[in-house]
Amino acid sequence: MNNVNIIRVFDIVGGGLCVSSDDGQLVHDQIAKLLREKHNVIISFENIDTLISAFLNAAIGQLYSEFPEEDIRECLSVENMTPEDMELLKRVIDNAKIYFENRKNYDDAWKIEVNDEE
Amino acid sequence: MKCYLPTIRSDKQGFTELASLKYALSNSIDDELVIDFSKCKFFDANMAASLKAVLSSVTDSSKTIVINGLPQAIECILRKNQFLNEYGYPVMRDTNQTTLPLLRVILQYHCFQSSDSHVLANYLNTHLSGKGIPEMSPMLNKKFRQSIFEIFENCAAHSNSRQGIFVCGQYFPRLNRLDLTISDAGIGIRTNVRRFLNRQVSSVDAIRWAMEEGNTTKTGTQPGGFGLALLKNLIELNRGKIQIVSRQGYYEFSNGKIKFDKLAADFPGTTINLEINTNDNNSYCLSSEISAKDIF
Repeated sequence: MNNVNIIRVFDIVGGGLCVSSDDGQLVHDQIAKLLREKHNVIISFENIDTLISAFLNAAIGQLYSEFPEEDIRECLSVENMTPEDMELLKRVIDNAKIYFENRKNYDDAWKIEVNDEE
Repeated sequence: MKCYLPTIRSDKQGFTELASLKYALSNSIDDELVIDFSKCKFFDANMAASLKAVLSSVTDSSKTIVINGLPQAIECILRKNQFLNEYGYPVMRDTNQTTLPLLRVILQYHCFQSSDSHVLANYLNTHLSGKGIPEMSPMLNKKFRQSIFEIFENCAAHSNSRQGIFVCGQYFPRLNRLDLTISDAGIGIRTNVRRFLNRQVSSVDAIRWAMEEGNTTKTGTQPGGFGLALLKNLIELNRGKIQIVSRQGYYEFSNGKIKFDKLAADFPGTTINLEINTNDNNSYCLSSEISAKDIF
């Protein structure tokens, strides 16, 4: 593995609000690029005041569809995260692992609605 | 066409009445739709968000809504929370500062953009503090804000609402309670779950499915599926109440009890109503701290 890179979430989303999956996608794209280049990545949540699951699903959860779990564990770390936000991230990651194990079943199920009757 | 609005409280009956109002209004061919409040004995202020969602779902540029017959106390509440502003009633000053006024966020491109999140953040910063508002612990304040953003992101991702998202709330200082309602006037949970499961599930079963941790109608590379479960966890610890109304489905959770019911009429989109116990000093953290090293 090469250099350690710090991804500052505050700088990418332009403030302390991490509440949209679009912003999460921006963070994800930067992390994914560095992981593909075999860099170690530290994600800094310094000055983040509001964080929701949809943001973390996009930013970090979806990495589990692209990289082996061992690589993520080896190369990725977080800093400046409050214990309650850490707990949320843990749930996001546990959920993502299960989600991608079953993903084919989920995606195959997406069909059109039959009608609008109750 | 004239419709009489009965008493509206934040309960199954209140949501049923609003769904019936929607049915009556949407079947009218008249250009002028009159909502008469003279038979309304009480109106829960936060339900203004749901009423607004109903009215926005049945009106277009060719229809005009007229509101009359307002009892004085109800007029006062609905002028303070600015619901009546659009119908020609001037805003009344909220001297006690116990109102979270009606907010409408119209989503661009059916997703929650940074600009929308800043509108909501400014609204919460402005209205979650004030002289009539009970002091919430910093942790409850954080969890509450987080929940509201979770709901907004959910509405943005799943509602397909063209009308936008409506928010309205009311503090009850003596009860240490904050009621907040978020309504989207979109397609409802039922349509999303039916598309996903390719089955004709009822509105109640659709809500039941969506409340299960891990269930999501999202596809693609972004996982999801526990925004609503998180909300339920918060309410459980807070000893508050949550109601979810979506199309003909009604869900309520409080005091450890879950209630599902079918509404007699089709409610537009999804409404989430929260009753928060503001006198709550929970730490909202697991007893054993999670290590950053073990998280992945």
